[in-house]
Amino acid sequence: MLRATGLEKSYGDVKALQGADLMVEAGQIVSLLGRNGAGKTTMLSIIAGLLAPDSGSVSIGSTDVLADPAAAAKLLGIAPQDTGIYPILTVRQNLEFFGELAGLGASRRPRAVEVADQLGLGSLLDRKASQLSGGEGRRLHTACALVHRPRLLMLDEPTVGADVATRLQLIEAVRELADDGAAVVYTTHYLPEVEALDADIVVIDEGQVKARGTQEQLIAEHKMRGVRFTIDGTLPAHLRESLGAVEVGDSAYRALGDLDMRSLLGRFGSDAEILRSVEELRPDLETVFLAVTGHRLDSEGSDVVAVSASEASES
Amino acid sequence: MTALLAITKVQLRIIRNDPWFLVIMFGMPLVVMPLFGKTMGLSLQASGFADATGAEQVVPGQVVLFGFFVGGSVGFTVFREHGWKTWDRLRASAAPSVALLGGFGLPWVVILLLWQSALFAAGSLVLGLSLNGGSPFALLLMLLGYALCVVSLILLMTATFRTVNQLSAFQNVGAMVFGGLGGALVPLDQLPGWAQTIAPITPAYWAMQGHTDVLLRQGGVVDVLPEFGVLAGVAIVISALAVGRFRVDETKEFFA
Repeated sequence: MLRATGLEKSYGDVKALQGADLMVEAGQIVSLLGRNGAGKTTMLSIIAGLLAPDSGSVSIGSTDVLADPAAAAKLLGIAPQDTGIYPILTVRQNLEFFGELAGLGASRRPRAVEVADQLGLGSLLDRKASQLSGGEGRRLHTACALVHRPRLLMLDEPTVGADVATRLQLIEAVRELADDGAAVVYTTHYLPEVEALDADIVVIDEGQVKARGTQEQLIAEHKMRGVRFTIDGTLPAHLRESLGAVEVGDSAYRALGDLDMRSLLGRFGSDAEILRSVEELRPDLETVFLAVTGHRLDSEGSDVVAVSASEASES
Repeated sequence: MTALLAITKVQLRIIRNDPWFLVIMFGMPLVVMPLFGKTMGLSLQASGFADATGAEQVVPGQVVLFGFFVGGSVGFTVFREHGWKTWDRLRASAAPSVALLGGFGLPWVVILLLWQSALFAAGSLVLGLSLNGGSPFALLLMLLGYALCVVSLILLMTATFRTVNQLSAFQNVGAMVFGGLGGALVPLDQLPGWAQTIAPITPAYWAMQGHTDVLLRQGGVVDVLPEFGVLAGVAIVISALAVGRFRVDETKEFFA
């Protein structure tokens, strides 16, 4: 469905994308993971025709996005990062407008109702968008992107600032769309959402795709183990350095790497008597991200360097 | 065409949902008109129009002056899309610049036409303005020409300016300067010689000349064709410049 290959884009001296590829099949949900500034939004903007790449190609089905953006626009729906709705219009009017803009005729009216119901806005159709709560507004923002049944749906951090109920409704709606055959690109910093969507993953960092695959594949390929342990007193400096351990609480430490209980005891050697407890950490998406990029992906997408990233493996 | 129509309709819907701007812009000139009616009557009589009541100057004058403010709203609506973060969604429709600008401009041409007509009608009720044998079609032609010219000029400025404050400054100062120079505040022959010389560079001048032809010289459609031709021609040229200058991917700053 979506084939974006060799995308390059620079802003002055800053290389936002360096030969990035993204392929998504019909019915597939791909989660684009990356820190702020990794190139996710630039990639989505290029695919949506909002930004011209320096080089590379993008096609949706058989339609070349760069050569025929008008035809491509009919096939895709995008919900940008910032909530973009008309506050002065009602929920219904917003949905009908974006449906009409995408080329829907009279069918936009029943479709607006259908999409509103899908995202839990059915009882709010005649309420002005300015009177919606933050979560409702976020849902309307997303609904506007899918009102014309796009074959490719791109959601750029759709749940930022949203409450739990909104998150669940959005995730459910996205899964339904994928079940109906839409290809979905979903960027988020909330890894539990990726798991809930059962999405395949593309890790992007410094404008390059660093890894791709299913969650199981990536965890298997980039297994990064670690331990959490508590001790009596203070960790000796030579152990702190050799383990790359980070203090995460009162006499509590974490260390990532090829470590388990047995190897940790071996590394402590004669100092093992100070150990009070040891817990092995389970490899998960956060440790995968850390292994691939050397950075932690926190919920705000901020840059946290590897030495403190052991916190990421706790979840 | 789909995008143009969709944007046109949604702009009209937004105005319908919040009509107070137009209500205010309709009421304010009606307050101002009676204040200057008598003075303008004396001015016109001194200019050789012995039977003038003053309404022939003050009504079209205020329409031309305030028309710049009303027409200026087209630029505000474009900037507001950036403030509402809906601009990228419009862009994602891949609509060409001409469709985007047309979608924003067209409703305001219609609104400006209706607003001017309503003020003339109100002027006839409040100040007894009469066509005095002039053609209503000629008057309508002048209203259309001025609407086209103002909206296209504001669209060019919208394409040029980066912030809504820049546009607002141009709109406010432009209304007074262009209106004053063009004879909207006082009859043209009351202005200094240098002002009369440069007056034709303003759309207000051609609008006021056309209105004077209709209201004080019993002008018909043929009589106002030169003025309409200038306004429409300038509108076409400026619109083309606006489309050429407009960059859909340029970030515009709305109010912080």
